[in-house]
Amino acid sequence: MTKKELWEGIRDAFPIVLGYVPLGFAFGILASEAGMSVVQATAMSILCFTGAGQYIAIGVMKAGGAVATAVIANILVNMRYFLFATSLVPFFKDNVPGRWATLLSYGLTDETYAVAFNRYKKKPPTTSYMAGLNITSHIGWISSTFVGALSGSLIANTDKIGLGFALPAMYTCLLVLVISKRTELVVALVAAALCLGIGWVWPASMHNLFNIIIATVVAATIGVIINGKC
Amino acid sequence: MGNAEIWMMIVGVSIVSILPRILPVAFFSRFTFPEVLKEWLSYIAPAVLAALTALSVLVPQGVIDFSLKNHYLWAFIPTIIVAVKTRSLFFTLLTGISVMAIIYNFFIF
Repeated sequence: MTKKELWEGIRDAFPIVLGYVPLGFAFGILASEAGMSVVQATAMSILCFTGAGQYIAIGVMKAGGAVATAVIANILVNMRYFLFATSLVPFFKDNVPGRWATLLSYGLTDETYAVAFNRYKKKPPTTSYMAGLNITSHIGWISSTFVGALSGSLIANTDKIGLGFALPAMYTCLLVLVISKRTELVVALVAAALCLGIGWVWPASMHNLFNIIIATVVAATIGVIINGKC
Repeated sequence: MGNAEIWMMIVGVSIVSILPRILPVAFFSRFTFPEVLKEWLSYIAPAVLAALTALSVLVPQGVIDFSLKNHYLWAFIPTIIVAVKTRSLFFTLLTGISVMAIIYNFFIF
């Protein structure tokens, strides 16, 4: 453990936590509205740490759906983590001991992934950095869920203070951060167009987020094909 | 859902969200990936984030909304400008959230 790397990880997690506060808070409120206790809502954020997946689970709960529906929807939504984790594996080699890399990958989310990926392209990962980044983000998610669940429906309308746009703004910035080459820009544009196109033709994919998986696989393949010619 | 079912759901969702993150790291670490696969994997981040951005901005209510009434589309413009100029998550979030609050409170159309 080096203190400097740990601190850099914590520092890089701060803006992520800033984005998680409104999202976790809103999750806490929605979870308590859907009938979860404060303990359950907080436990869910500790154990799952998957923004979109947790929101979907709450949606299923509210709609009176089955446990299996929530779990299956999460299998689909969380498939992208498989791609994320796999794409980080080459960086971990010789830098982070396998056991630590595995354990700390628990804290892999859209946001920690984008920040980590961006850094590892320039600087090899370390256990300390990963711990700082992932654990700080997770704590932010857990504590904001807890506060949200506690305050329940005291806050009537989170849209009024612009919080509805926290997630889109976070995605936008992370997208900008991971694009440094022309091919990456092309891949991003193709993925966005494909994702919307698939969702338009096959509306169910908008809900299980399968359009994201298909668009990603196709766009990344196109990236490999055009690279060097663009 | 009853209390026991809620706990079952939490544990179930937890298993299917943790496994896809840790299994690749646990099992693939001993392999060396071929260059072409590494390159393919390097495009995952821009692709997924572009898809997520497009969905979150253009599909705020579950259906594609390209209309001028889509507030998210308006808020997206200053947000991406600030993101490109500052490359700072903090300032981008600050911009996005403030612009959205202004639109919501003063420009309901």
